Amino acid sequence: MIYLITSTCCLYFFTTFCPLPTYANNLNSPTFEIQMGTVNITGGRKSNESGSIILTDTVGQTFQGQFNSAGFVILAGFQYINTLTPFSFKISDLDIEFGSLVPGTPSIQSNVLTVTTGSAYGYTVKAIEDHPLRMSDGATTIADTSCDLATPCLQTDANLWTSNTRYGFGYNMSGNDVDTTDFVNSNYYRPFPVQNIDQPAIIMSKAGMATTSAATVNYKVNVDAIQPAGTYQNSIQFIAIPSF
Amino acid sequence: MIKKFLTIFFTLVGLFLLPQNVQAANYGLSISPPLLRVHIKPGKSITQVFTIENLSKTDQILIASIVPFTEADRFGNPILDPKANANWLSFFSLVNSQIKFDQPFTIAAESSEQLILSLSIPETAPLKDLYATLIVSTYDNSLNQELMGTSLRATIGSNLLITISSSAFPDTILKIEDFFPIEGTYLKIGNLYFVDSITPVKFTATAYNEGSFTAETKGVFRVSSNNKPVFMQGVLPINVIAKSKRQLTNTDGHSFVFSPSIGNIGTHQISLEIKTENSNTQSTINVFFLPLKLCLGLLLTIIIIISIQKFTSKPQEKID
Repeated sequence: MIYLITSTCCLYFFTTFCPLPTYANNLNSPTFEIQMGTVNITGGRKSNESGSIILTDTVGQTFQGQFNSAGFVILAGFQYINTLTPFSFKISDLDIEFGSLVPGTPSIQSNVLTVTTGSAYGYTVKAIEDHPLRMSDGATTIADTSCDLATPCLQTDANLWTSNTRYGFGYNMSGNDVDTTDFVNSNYYRPFPVQNIDQPAIIMSKAGMATTSAATVNYKVNVDAIQPAGTYQNSIQFIAIPSF
Repeated sequence: MIKKFLTIFFTLVGLFLLPQNVQAANYGLSISPPLLRVHIKPGKSITQVFTIENLSKTDQILIASIVPFTEADRFGNPILDPKANANWLSFFSLVNSQIKFDQPFTIAAESSEQLILSLSIPETAPLKDLYATLIVSTYDNSLNQELMGTSLRATIGSNLLITISSSAFPDTILKIEDFFPIEGTYLKIGNLYFVDSITPVKFTATAYNEGSFTAETKGVFRVSSNNKPVFMQGVLPINVIAKSKRQLTNTDGHSFVFSPSIGNIGTHQISLEIKTENSNTQSTINVFFLPLKLCLGLLLTIIIIISIQKFTSKPQEKID
């Protein structure tokens, strides 16, 4: 009897005053709830005093056990990035209006693309057009630029376009995460790749974590005197995808 | 007089008190999480919520779809073909009551919406990896007829790396390739690199996944001398999809850099060790550190001194 009382007292004492820490968490959203989700006990970046040894670790995952019992494991985000923040993409203006074009006088319009990688580790922004600028008849077009005669450009290779007697439609890039070895200055242009014919062209990219990157796109169109009058339109799609 | 006063009054009210909110149409969207990795057994189902936030001041009509991919570049950017199709796309569905794949839906200005993605793997599904990107695009079925120019559309995405397997860690075959110095003062003779011991040296390396399942690059970059580590740096854990290559970097996302000290002279082993849950791989290069620049400077000085001595000690010709 004394043993039973002593054991009960000890058990009560240890469970009351010396509770063991437990690590579990309920994950929920408006539509589902996962009980007892795994929580990392520790993790992060560690180094020795001299800084000659720099390592990261994560302790506490029960991948194997969770997989065997539940039949699946979900890993959202990246192990080495502490927070799960959204990947975002902004375009300052969705309508690029060139107005009335004067033959031999280029019209240049611009807008700004902004990418916030959040917890992604790198990203690319690609661009592609549905077709060259064209009238509603579907036949009359303003061709995509090939830049100056002496310095021809390609969809992935910008080059000088300064001559007002060279006609077409193209774009220049400047700002963060732009390939400045290609878009050397504001006179370097490329034609847009065309949907269903070409692959989208990379216009911004970053490997590694960035906070916010902003780049300006300059759209240039120049027509000759024999270009039929009318309203020319096209649509350009910007595709922002995080890296994995 | 009263008529004139009222006209001025209402004009002022119209101008100052009821300003029209005129602004260029803009676009802003965010998606979370940006990456979803799932290990799942055949016959199982999971649900994951993706939050889409409309960051612009206008309502956005959007359309969501899943685009499969099989290739990616060395930096983990998927090569997407919007027209690509795969029979396993039917494993994915949206369980929202209002939002379905490939059908437009509206998100009010500065508000968010949840896409509830369901993945159901049939019992008979083959054991392999599935790669796809959940893309959300602006939807526009009418063009402004008065616009003389370009209308822009935008797409944002989140990558889905799915491993269908009966075990938590299916076999992976990861290899380290192209591991060599790219910056610094060095010369290579045979398999041995002679590297200047007072100049930082930068190394590059790639990981090649020969297996059929995604592998993560957990590992360490190590510089050793006489089997004792002199310098260690973590390898950034990245996902290498099946049959692809990824550039390896340190945990800061940069190339591996070792800055030797004056004391680092002699043979060193520089190794990259990658460990997955069921395989290890290592690549080692032998480096001989020596004060290369100092030696070259010394050699040049000796040559100059010898040349000067030879020139000055030349016997003078006798002049009669």
